[in-house]
Amino acid sequence: MRELPEYKLDRTFDAPREMVWRAWTDPELLHRWYGPNVETVIHKFELKPGGAWLNEMKWGGKSDFSKMVFQEVTKPKKLVWHHSSTDADWNIVSSPMMPDWPRVLLTTVTFEDMGNKTDVRLTQVPIDATDAEISCFAKVMSRMDKGWGSGYAILDEMLVELQSKRG
Amino acid sequence: MIVRSRLTDWRSYQRPLRKARRKVDRTELLCNHKVMELVGSAAKSQNIDAVFAALADPTRRAILSRLVAGEAAVAEIAAPFRISQPAVSKHLKVLERAGLIERDIDKQRRPARLKAENMAVAVDWLNQFEGFWRKSFDQLDHVLLSMKKTKVKGKGHA
Repeated sequence: MRELPEYKLDRTFDAPREMVWRAWTDPELLHRWYGPNVETVIHKFELKPGGAWLNEMKWGGKSDFSKMVFQEVTKPKKLVWHHSSTDADWNIVSSPMMPDWPRVLLTTVTFEDMGNKTDVRLTQVPIDATDAEISCFAKVMSRMDKGWGSGYAILDEMLVELQSKRG
Repeated sequence: MIVRSRLTDWRSYQRPLRKARRKVDRTELLCNHKVMELVGSAAKSQNIDAVFAALADPTRRAILSRLVAGEAAVAEIAAPFRISQPAVSKHLKVLERAGLIERDIDKQRRPARLKAENMAVAVDWLNQFEGFWRKSFDQLDHVLLSMKKTKVKGKGHA
């Protein structure tokens, strides 16, 4: 049994834990920050084990749907959910671009009280994944570890230049 | 046209985590052959692998940058580098296999041309995943700030 590849992101937020917890668990607040530069619509949000968070992200007339099913809700310390992409009817689907991307990611978020600050750790690991899914996720994770930031910067420049030429 | 709009999209926002999985592309597929080619080729995961591998090399990235300026033959591409033409040819083969460039078969100088759409699709995938939570967290910072302000106001403090 090999170790599962894991995505991990740590961030310290400049707010007390209760407040950070509220921003994560009140859909009125959650929709304001979840999803970068998109309009997030939370269709359903049942904050309890087995409960679903049905999420739509809209941009440029398009939508991206995902379903999160809570596994653990320990106020104000820990949230665990199964994270999947879905079609518009909330059926879990695989990606046309990355067919081997894990269909379900076990997502764990912990909130640690640091006084006026809160340490948040988010991890994602494939769950009930096929070997192909695990190795696909592992590959993407290893690319990220290799500092793709600089690669992106170059590509960004290229695409800007290309665009200005065509435009 | 479609290519441009996709690139504009790519630049104008960070696509959400699994944008690439969205079903929307399917409707585009039906009506747009160009997109069909694009998605079709990117759909092979080994191709995405090849793209990542191709982009991992600084010389190959430099070659791609050169091709942004327009198509070029091996000799022209090799000129600014301290490497031989055969070495450049090897790099071009890798890029071609990854679908990042195309070359004319019939012309003798076989100029190489960028196929930026494929690159955008593949790199975008990684970008989306990497940026999703980071950017969301940045937004969360702002939400927390506004929550604090509201709280302070509500309590009648300054």
